[in-house]
Amino acid sequence: MTTRRQILAGATALGASGLPATLRAQTATPRRGGTLRMSVDQAVAKLNPLLTRVNPEYLVAELLYSGLTRLSTDMTPEPDLAERWSASDDLVTWTFTLRPDVAFHDGSACTSADVVASFEAMLDPATASPARNNIGPIAKVEARDPRTVVFTLRAPYADLPVMLAYTNARIVPAALSKAPGLARLDREAVGTGPFRLVSYEPERQVVVERNPRYYDPQRPHLDRVEIVVYPDPTAESSALISGSTDVMMLALPTEFARLQRASGVNALRTPSGQFCNVNLGCDTAPFNDVRVRQALALTVDRAAMVDFVAEGFGTQGNDTPLNSAYTYYRELPMRRPDINAAKRLLAEAGHANGIRATLIASDRPAVRTQLAVALKEMARPAGFEIEVRTMPHATYLEQVWRKGSFYIGFYNMQPTADGIFSLLYTSNAAWNETRWNNAEFDRLIEAARSTADTARRRELYGQAQQLMHRDVPSIIPVFFDLLAATRSYVQNYKLHPRGAVFRLDHVWLGEGAPRRG
Amino acid sequence: MSGRYLLRRTGLILYTLLVVSVLVFGITQVLPADAATMLLGENATPEQLAAIRERLGLNDPIWTQYLRWLGGVVTGDFGTSMRTGLPVLPQIAEALSRSLLLAALSIGLMLVLALPLGILAAVRRGRPVDLLVSLASYVGISLPEFVTATLAILVFADWLGWLPPTGYVPLTEDPARSLLHLILPVATISLILVAHVSRMVRSELVDALHTDYVRAARLKGLPERVVLRRHALRNALLPTITIVALDVGYVLGGIIVVEEIFAIPGIGRTLIVAVQNRDLPMIQAGALVMAATYCIANFLADLAYAALDRRIQYG
Repeated sequence: MTTRRQILAGATALGASGLPATLRAQTATPRRGGTLRMSVDQAVAKLNPLLTRVNPEYLVAELLYSGLTRLSTDMTPEPDLAERWSASDDLVTWTFTLRPDVAFHDGSACTSADVVASFEAMLDPATASPARNNIGPIAKVEARDPRTVVFTLRAPYADLPVMLAYTNARIVPAALSKAPGLARLDREAVGTGPFRLVSYEPERQVVVERNPRYYDPQRPHLDRVEIVVYPDPTAESSALISGSTDVMMLALPTEFARLQRASGVNALRTPSGQFCNVNLGCDTAPFNDVRVRQALALTVDRAAMVDFVAEGFGTQGNDTPLNSAYTYYRELPMRRPDINAAKRLLAEAGHANGIRATLIASDRPAVRTQLAVALKEMARPAGFEIEVRTMPHATYLEQVWRKGSFYIGFYNMQPTADGIFSLLYTSNAAWNETRWNNAEFDRLIEAARSTADTARRRELYGQAQQLMHRDVPSIIPVFFDLLAATRSYVQNYKLHPRGAVFRLDHVWLGEGAPRRG
Repeated sequence: MSGRYLLRRTGLILYTLLVVSVLVFGITQVLPADAATMLLGENATPEQLAAIRERLGLNDPIWTQYLRWLGGVVTGDFGTSMRTGLPVLPQIAEALSRSLLLAALSIGLMLVLALPLGILAAVRRGRPVDLLVSLASYVGISLPEFVTATLAILVFADWLGWLPPTGYVPLTEDPARSLLHLILPVATISLILVAHVSRMVRSELVDALHTDYVRAARLKGLPERVVLRRHALRNALLPTITIVALDVGYVLGGIIVVEEIFAIPGIGRTLIVAVQNRDLPMIQAGALVMAATYCIANFLADLAYAALDRRIQYG
């Protein structure tokens, strides 16, 4: 019992005090008021929170809607609409208690019925919400009373409170959770978030203002937020440097030095679990031979990859999808380049004369091509003759992704170790790109899912990483740091390692902020 | 020019637009991937793809899809975007209005600058003024927009801080700020147009000044100003008008780079985004608008021809 209480302790303690950790830890008193202008690099094409897919859309959804829980910067769940939760001993039944008196933007009450309807919409294949594959093995969601929601799972799952903070797991009114009402959410926003919608223009800007009905009277500190779309990265940096904008959601490595030099600008950087990898089809020759995969992994100079592919703004990968940004990361000895060992392995596998292969890279984002070209050069001395083929992203999605056996992948950080493992590497993974299908690995991940004890989970995930490091279903040479920048008067904006979480309701404007609007 | 001619011309334009819509629709069918694939990206599962295709009507035969779209257009319904779920017409109209404003200002500035510069260079052929104009227009033509745009931002926004770097503010929201935001993009586009057109004016005018009729006019004792305006320029302007008409099309559709850099969501950018996302209704509407612009600009050019040259008559 004590063990399970450990996971839940942090969350419930916060729920009781009613204040998020970041706010209590702060020394200065947040100032209320003002308009924050934040630039993003892509359009906000989807307003419907169940269907958002890119970071600017996640940002807007987070401003307008709430989930049951939300993800704090240390990747633990904190209360959002749910003020507390508990699990049965077998981790199959979870009970969430909602805050009292929560209202949607239109004034109607948000109750357990809306929560149930929202989750049913996410799980309905017809909605096509990305949440469906990412919020855990939910079998049934029921409302016990207006403030209590009970989740019954198909299997024990310790990470449920974290996964319910998923970017698409937002609560919408029950009346709008099904077609045809659902289509209304493409144009308008009816949520319980800290802000409400003022205007929406997908390719130009989204404006939101303080939601006077928000459940926390302290937040948000800002009166108004303007999300402005800047398709050109140089122009976006210029806008921040000249003071036209206050926060830049994402900065490119090539722009970062300029932002660091600029006066009145804080350049932000945080290590993240975002990575680029080389997927190896473990069911197809020549990569069905583990020695060939190991040989290829041994040719990779990971330090050089960080310099070349991430322009120095990254950390070395060790062929597992976890790095220090994840809670259950286990540090293993870094694989060093060893051409002789690679040649030996190739010869043992019957390829003494080398291997020819075509490596496919989509042209979006550009790092995919960079990784492919670097690998081609690094692997050549060991006897790999790699031909790099780049193609438009659309062609790649249709012809290569999940079908090919030698291509470059690119993934965002997930909230949990289980999130990334069971998304990509277990036999029943939603996107089982490598077809590794390792029973031992599956067993470890399954066991970690149904264990509440943190130490035991750490051990299980450690073994899983070791196994993956040995078997190399995919080569993961580099993780990218997330880069961003703010004007120096912007207070309490924390770059979140997950990349898809922003928490602007905690941000306030200090001395020197311009008057906007 | 008769009413029958106008009617025939209008019919021809409508026919062109119909052909364009069929061609564009056909081409989108050949492209790899569809709206559902692009919507879901690397988040797709087969069942989600199926659900979205069903909802968007992508499972129907191509001709059913096309006729459904055409039927809508005829009744004024351009459908909703497959990407955003928002109605197409207001978005296209909004984007077009921005591009038109940008185009009108750029072309206006071009006309004010290019004609005098071209005439000056032609009249002072071989002199320093001519060399200077020619050199400047060479630079203007050879520097791509993304270079001039980025340089302009660096100089006028980053270093001098005189102008806002990028972004678009609607005229209706704040006219002064709106114009301030338009200065750099308009300057970028005009630079190329001025270079383009002033060279054209110069070379045509130089040719015209060496024709027999100009010599005759001079021998007749007409003052040089009148020779220039009434005889030489009038003829030299004919090819220039064709170029200007094409440039109108270019400014509306070809300045995607400028729209991208200055974050102006105009018609060019809208169309690019639509193509990238295989957003059929948006592609169709955007392509129609572009085609219609070219048709109308050329039509106006033909009318201007007739006005300038009495030998040309339409009937």
